[in-house]
Amino acid sequence: MTNSDHIVFVIDDDVRIQEALGELLASHGIHFVIFGSAGSYITADKPDVPSCLILDIELPDINGLDLQRQIANGGHPPIVFITGHGDIPSSVRAIKRGAVDFLTKPFSDTDLMAAIHTAIAQDRQQRSLRAELDLLRRRYDRLTPREREVLPLVVSGLLNKQAAAELGISEVMLQIHRRNVMQKMAAASLADLVRIAERLEIPVTHSRRAGGRS
Amino acid sequence: MTTVPNSPNEFDCKAIQAAQIVEGVVGTGWATDAAGKFVYVTPSILSLIGMTLDEFNFPSEGQPSGLKRIIHPDDQDGAIETWRRCLQTGEHYNSEHRVLRADGSHGWSRSSGKPLRDSQGHILAWYGTIIDGDVPSAADVRFTSSPSATLEKKAAPDIPHSLNLVHPDDRTEAAHAAARAFWTGVSQVTRYRQLQADGSYRWTETRTEPGYRVSVDIDDLVTEREPPAEKVEQPAEDEAEAIRSARVIESIFGNGWAFDAEGRWIHLHPFAQNSLGVTLEYLNASLEEGYTAWKRLVHPDDYDQIASIWRHCLETGDHFNVEFRFRRANGIYVWARTAARPVRDNEGRITGWFGIALDNDVYKKTVEALRERERGLQQLIDTVPALIWTTTPDGTPTYVNKRFTDVTGAKLEDITAPDNSPSLNVIHAADVDAARQAITHSFATGEPYVQRYRQLRADGGYHWTETRAEPLRDEDGTIIQWYGVCVDIDDLVLAQKALQQSERRYRDLFHYMPIGLTQIDAGKLIPLFEELRDQGVTDLEAYIDEHPGFLSRAVEALEVEEVNQHIVEMFGAKNAEEMRGPIARYWQPSMATIRRSIEARYRGVEVFQEETKVAQMDGSVIDVLFKTARPGAVADKSLVGFVDITERKKAEEALRERERFLWQLVETLPAMIDCAAPDGEPVYRSRQLREYLGYDLDELDGKQKPRLTGTLDAGVHPDDVAGVKEHYAHSLATGEPYARKHRLRRFDGEYRWVETRAAAMRNAEGAIVQWNVICLDIDGEVRAQENLRLAQERLARAGQAATLAELSASIAHEVNQPLAAVVANSHACQRWLSADPPNMERARKTVERITRDANSVAEVVSRIRALFKQSSETRVRTSIASVIAEAREVMAEEASRRRVHLEIDVDDDLPTIMLDRVQIQQVLVNLIRNGMDAMSSDAGVERIVDIRTRHTDNVIRTEVSDHGPGVEFSDNIFEPFFTTKEDGMGMGLAICRSIVEAHGGRLWVERNEPRGAKFIFTLPIEVDRAP
Repeated sequence: MTNSDHIVFVIDDDVRIQEALGELLASHGIHFVIFGSAGSYITADKPDVPSCLILDIELPDINGLDLQRQIANGGHPPIVFITGHGDIPSSVRAIKRGAVDFLTKPFSDTDLMAAIHTAIAQDRQQRSLRAELDLLRRRYDRLTPREREVLPLVVSGLLNKQAAAELGISEVMLQIHRRNVMQKMAAASLADLVRIAERLEIPVTHSRRAGGRS
Repeated sequence: MTTVPNSPNEFDCKAIQAAQIVEGVVGTGWATDAAGKFVYVTPSILSLIGMTLDEFNFPSEGQPSGLKRIIHPDDQDGAIETWRRCLQTGEHYNSEHRVLRADGSHGWSRSSGKPLRDSQGHILAWYGTIIDGDVPSAADVRFTSSPSATLEKKAAPDIPHSLNLVHPDDRTEAAHAAARAFWTGVSQVTRYRQLQADGSYRWTETRTEPGYRVSVDIDDLVTEREPPAEKVEQPAEDEAEAIRSARVIESIFGNGWAFDAEGRWIHLHPFAQNSLGVTLEYLNASLEEGYTAWKRLVHPDDYDQIASIWRHCLETGDHFNVEFRFRRANGIYVWARTAARPVRDNEGRITGWFGIALDNDVYKKTVEALRERERGLQQLIDTVPALIWTTTPDGTPTYVNKRFTDVTGAKLEDITAPDNSPSLNVIHAADVDAARQAITHSFATGEPYVQRYRQLRADGGYHWTETRAEPLRDEDGTIIQWYGVCVDIDDLVLAQKALQQSERRYRDLFHYMPIGLTQIDAGKLIPLFEELRDQGVTDLEAYIDEHPGFLSRAVEALEVEEVNQHIVEMFGAKNAEEMRGPIARYWQPSMATIRRSIEARYRGVEVFQEETKVAQMDGSVIDVLFKTARPGAVADKSLVGFVDITERKKAEEALRERERFLWQLVETLPAMIDCAAPDGEPVYRSRQLREYLGYDLDELDGKQKPRLTGTLDAGVHPDDVAGVKEHYAHSLATGEPYARKHRLRRFDGEYRWVETRAAAMRNAEGAIVQWNVICLDIDGEVRAQENLRLAQERLARAGQAATLAELSASIAHEVNQPLAAVVANSHACQRWLSADPPNMERARKTVERITRDANSVAEVVSRIRALFKQSSETRVRTSIASVIAEAREVMAEEASRRRVHLEIDVDDDLPTIMLDRVQIQQVLVNLIRNGMDAMSSDAGVERIVDIRTRHTDNVIRTEVSDHGPGVEFSDNIFEPFFTTKEDGMGMGLAICRSIVEAHGGRLWVERNEPRGAKFIFTLPIEVDRAP
């Protein structure tokens, strides 16, 4: 009866908490894996499905908050912190760094389950965003160097004429490049292309909205 | 040279026949035509060198001739030259040379040849043989190269000179034999009558070998006056072939005999019949008795074997070649080698036997005699107590005697370098170059060689050796050999060296000793002394007192005779010469010393010594140790030594100065210093210490106590004296440094803290000679330190109070962990139970865990309670005001950070009470912090925490009030784990209440007017319990 399209990871060094959380998650039919330390979590093979990390602050090998910071860039699952004695600064830091919730032991069943569901949903969304971004990146990778020069000029809002002058090419050539960019990036409109560029974090090199060079 | 034109083949055949006969006996044979072309060579030689006869004569292009092939290259020229000469002159050919052997080596052989002449004496052909082996055998090489052999060999041609000892009738034959032996190299046995000392002649059998002769007296063998003259005839055609053959070999070897086919004697040289005392008939008679013909000739012990071989030969035709003893006419058996071969007719039938007997008895005896003689010489050489060696003219070592090897451990090969030069490696490395130069010079010039060097001994040591070598020259003056002898002169050289060294050592001692030495000539003083003695003066001192003039006369009489280098420098003289002469000028500064010295001399004291002063050449005065010795042996000389002690005197002065300085240093050091004997008895106290104590070192003496005990008892604080005594005794016993702080009574009766340190001073052997003690007044420091320690203690405890928050966090963890597990398990349990169908198994498991974890929570709580259940031991009488002041200090920083004002109002006349300062501080800190927390979220209020302490009845009442929202659940807030704070754990007030109650007080909360909460706690005043 466990639902294996998502998974909950638990890191807590206290065996009693491990047992209890395991029991609780099992009673909710949630697929889970429990780790006694941050190290064993990091080195473990983890299934590539939407997931959530229930993380104790006081771990033997590392402080939970430090672990959060360490894995911040690794596409890690959303974190639900649990702690024996929460202080306000810690919880603020945790939430600021994107933790889903910060639960003080003892915590209620409801709070925990709510946090888990929020986290799973969040991860699911992040994953789809990541997948979408990957697609955009792949498209961007197909652009020629010249097209990559054209793209920021276009999304900066330069007129064709201005952009062509910027690159020292004819307006006709610019239009051809621009059309190719739109096609390759699968942009339905200029607005769409601007949004894509934002997603790809392409820097806007020319903020001039209009007007010639001065 | 005669060439024979007609039928050369016929002559060749005769020569070949002769050669083959010789070959039959000797093993090899050859024949040439008159021109020297080989017509026959024993087939074994040809096959050895792989040549046909034609090739032997006429080798193919570029190949050596057969002769050159078989003769050793070094000998070829000589042999061939001799052969050519013989071909021209008809002389018997005889050559000694090395010949190729079947095994490929070259062995010494003797080759001889003889012409075959017709009746007119024309040479028709040549035949000859090569006799292998006997001639210079390996053993003889050394022998022949030894000087004695050389001399004998040289003497050989003189044989004819001894012919006058030979009977005139026999001279021709003897001379012929000698010459033949000499020229042919074939041993000749001749018999002649020899002149005896008494003028008579006796028959002698002489074996003549090339180089020496051995004669054996055979007079009694010769039974006939005249040996039957033998005619040399042309062999008759009808004569038995065997006899003819025997005659041929007789012509070469002297003795021949023949048997018929049945083994019957048919020929024996008549002379042999004489010397053996037999006739053919006599010998053959044994055949009739069933024995062989040898029976009556051969030694009985040899007969059976000989007979067996002989019968076998007769039967098979095999060559007969045996050695046996045969009996001479005088009944003596002698050794002979006998060889015989059969003669066959055209059908190959044996027609007879011919043979030869070589009398090797004489030969053997000769060789033995010579060997004996050589051995004698060798022994002589080996027993001469000298090391003897020889070299070739150009220096290649050829011989060392046994003693040489025994003594030096070096054999001939050891002293021969690879290039055959003398290796000289028995010579000490330091001497070898000179020796090599000298010996090379001698070899080059022929001048005798004399050299002294250290020579290796078998034990690895070196002995001084004198080696002399002289060349042996031949008649032409050409050097043949060098003879050397080494004589051990080690003892001599060492003794000489020792003597030289000894002399030199003493001379060096005198000259280079780093003390000034002079030799004084007292020759003029002696007569003065004698004069006095004649006058009966015994006490010179008294005499000089009476006659002061004598002293200057005596001093003038003493003269410096010899000085060493050091004293020249000491007195600042230019050279030794300058110093010679009367000693008076040196003694001006201290005539008293020289006077005492002269007086001592007069008394006969041999040695006189004094530290004194003398004048240098320039008149300046130096300190010296003066010592004079007048050994009885040289009464008129005395040896005077001066040691410059100026430096020492200076050093002594400096040392005294330094000691004074150190003394003052110790006396004036701003520390109390004390020195004690190894047993601890004080022996010195510095001024500071004396002043501190107010009495001198020996003031407490004589009170039936040792000085140490007396001092300690009088000075050290009664509470400390036991420890001081114990530790000081320990250090005195073990030598370990002593250090201790204790109170010491000052002169004014005040005990002040001092630190006393003592360390043992040891001598070079490590034994303790003194204890040095320093005593520092540290009273101020000790008191300051005590204050500091108390302050630190208070601070530490205050710190503990401040960390109550951290303690709380730890407690929270301890409690919340199991609590969280309980909650989570409860939820899980609930879910298992409410599932459809309920999972009873898992629900039961979770309930078990809930129970377990809940129990552990309870345990934690009781542990915490126990933690704060205080014993009264840590309580001290304390003023509550000081505790509040400390708490305020602890909280001051936090209060200012949180912008909270702390107002303290404490009655002045509060009595001190027994309390645990830290715990009460915790209570205060906790209540103050609670107050601050209560106001933290409320922006509008006046942030003030009031602390007010009053003395009411028999309690001290302290109130901590805030202006926060006040307390909602006033009944519950003191329960453990009850909290209204988001991050609180609900322990603070519970702990506070337990602390206060443990002190016998109460803690409760009231409303504060106009707003906020007021926490009040009371502490009882228990006047009676105070000590």
